[in-house]
Amino acid sequence: MSGAAPGRSAGNKVVPLESLGELVRDGESVAFGGGWFANHPMAAVRELIRAGRRDIEAITVVGSVDMELLVAAGVLGKLSFSMVTLEAFGLAPNVRKGIESGALPFTEYTGLGLLIGLEAQGRGVPFLPYRGPFGSDIPGHYPEIYSTTTCPFTGEELTAVRALQPDVAIVHALRADAEGNAQWDNTSGPDVEMAKAARRVIVTCEEVVDRQVIVANAHMTKLPGYYVDAVIEAPFGAHPTSHVPRYALDAWELMDYAGVAGDADGVAAYVDRIRGETEAGYRDRVLKGRDEVLAALVEAAETIEVQQ
Amino acid sequence: MTDYEVHELMTCRVAAEVDEQGVTVMGSFTPLAYASYMLAKLTHAPKAYLVGFDAVGMQPIQLSFTGAEAAAYKGAVCRWGMLTEVNSIHLANHGGVEAVSSAQFDGDGAINLSAIGPYEQPKVRLPGGAGAAEVIKMYRKMIAYFGNHNSRTLVDKVGFVTGTRWKVGAAAREAAGLQPGPVVVVTNLAVLVKDEDDAPFRLESVHPGVDPQTVVENTGFALEVPTDVPTTAEPTAEQLELLRTKIDPYGTVKFDFVSGKDRLAYLKSILDAEWDRAAARVGA
Repeated sequence: MSGAAPGRSAGNKVVPLESLGELVRDGESVAFGGGWFANHPMAAVRELIRAGRRDIEAITVVGSVDMELLVAAGVLGKLSFSMVTLEAFGLAPNVRKGIESGALPFTEYTGLGLLIGLEAQGRGVPFLPYRGPFGSDIPGHYPEIYSTTTCPFTGEELTAVRALQPDVAIVHALRADAEGNAQWDNTSGPDVEMAKAARRVIVTCEEVVDRQVIVANAHMTKLPGYYVDAVIEAPFGAHPTSHVPRYALDAWELMDYAGVAGDADGVAAYVDRIRGETEAGYRDRVLKGRDEVLAALVEAAETIEVQQ
Repeated sequence: MTDYEVHELMTCRVAAEVDEQGVTVMGSFTPLAYASYMLAKLTHAPKAYLVGFDAVGMQPIQLSFTGAEAAAYKGAVCRWGMLTEVNSIHLANHGGVEAVSSAQFDGDGAINLSAIGPYEQPKVRLPGGAGAAEVIKMYRKMIAYFGNHNSRTLVDKVGFVTGTRWKVGAAAREAAGLQPGPVVVVTNLAVLVKDEDDAPFRLESVHPGVDPQTVVENTGFALEVPTDVPTTAEPTAEQLELLRTKIDPYGTVKFDFVSGKDRLAYLKSILDAEWDRAAARVGA
C-alpha cells in the first residue's frame, strides 16, 4: 500500500482519470480486471494509451478488446494471459499478429493457475498447490511458474503455481467512496484476487459515492478501502465491454473495431482517435443518443420460466 | 418430422448429456453450448444446476449477444467471482457436464486452443484455453462439439496440448480423484464416445443420411465402428419449438455455422434485432 499517487491525502484517494498516466509507470506489470466481454477497465486502458505508457506487462485472465487496444497502441512490452478473444467478433487480430510475428513476448497461463498464483500472493505464501493442468503442455514451457510438489501427508503429487505479484491492479467497480471501498453488483471476475495480489491498486468506478451509500449496501463491498491506492470516477468506464446492470456490451462499437482491427492503417486511425480526445470526448462521440439503449439492453434481457 | 438444421440436431444431442447431477459452468458466450444447457433445463433436466459468468444457480435464459450476461444474473441465487467458482465447483469436484470446442481435438481427449505451428512464434496463435487446461479433466462428462467434422480439427495428436481429459476409464479416473464419466464428441456428422484409456473412440451414432465411412474418412484418429451404427435421434417438435421461440429466437447458435462473407451480415442482422427490441423500450 505504498503507492504514491500525487495530489491525494490518506483520507481521500479520489484522483482524476488524467492522473492515471502518473500512477502507472513504463515497464510495470499491470493486472487488468474483468473477464469475457464484461467489465474490463476500458477507460483506464484508453487513458494509458493517451498517456503514451510503454513496455507495460499486461496480465489478464480472459481478455478481449482491452488487450487488443493496448497491443495496437504499442503500450505493451509483454502479455500474460490465459485467454484473449473477441468471441463472435473473431480472434484478436493484433494480439495474434504480435505473437505470430515474435514482436510481443508472452506468457500463456492456464486459467486456474493464474487465479491461484494471484491468490497465493494475496495470502502471502510463495506458491500454492492444487490438482493442476495434468497432461497440459503449458507448464513445461514455464518452469519459473509451474512445478510439482508432494503432499506431506498423503504423498499425492500436485501442481505448484508460483505467487504472482503485479505492480499494479486496475479494476472497474460499480461504485466506490473516497477511501476506496469498492462495490460490484454483477461480474467481478478476477478483480478481487488481482487487487489483493498487487503492490498498488487503482479502482475506476461508474460513480464515486459518499461513505454512507457504501455502508447502506455493505454486502456488495468486495474490496475494502485498505487495499486501494487511488479511486477514479469513470462513467461508462467499461465501455465497449459491459457493466451490468448499468449497460450491456456495445456490440456495435466492437463490430466497428473488428472491422478495422486487421488493417494496420485502420487500427492506427482507431487508436489515434482515442489518443486525440479526452474521455469525456470519447463518451460524447461514441455514446451520444445510444447510452439509453445500451442500458435498455440489460432491462430487455430475458430469463425463461421452468415448469418444475 | 419437422424440418430441422444440423445445428439444431447437435444442440439437442448435447442437451441429452446434461443431467441433474453436479454443476455446469458457462464462460465465454458459446451459443450452442448455452442453448443445449437451456434446452435440457426446460425439458428432461429441470434441476440442472447452471452457473454463467458470475451468476450461480441461474434460470434458463434467452440467448442474445448483448443480453446473455444480464439475463444470467436475473434468475441467479448467488454471485461469485472467478476464483470462488473455481474453488467451489471445479477443484471441489462438483463439475457435472461441460461442452467445449477447440481448434484441434485428438483421440486421447486432448484439446488445442493455443497454437498451430511452433509455440513461441506460431503460424496461428489461438485464443488460449482459459480454465479448460485444468477443468476438462474434472467434469464428470466432457462433451466436445464441432460444427465442421474434418481431419484437420479431429486429429491423431494435437500440435499442442492446452488441456486434456488425462484419465478416461472409470477406474483410472477414480484412482486419480476424478469423477468417472465419458468423453462425448458431437459433430455435424456423428457422435463419438470414449470411456476407456486403451480403447479408441467408438462411433456411437451417425446423423440421418451420413455414411459411417464418411465419418471415418474425416476423422484423423482411429475409430471403432460397430457393425450396425445407430442413427442419431432427430430433434422433436417440442425441442425445436423451444429452441426457435424461447431459447434462441434471434438465431445465435446458427451464427457459428454461417461461413465466410455471410457471417458479418448474419451477425449484424441479429444485433439489429437485439437493438430494436431494446430501443423500443426507451422510445429511441
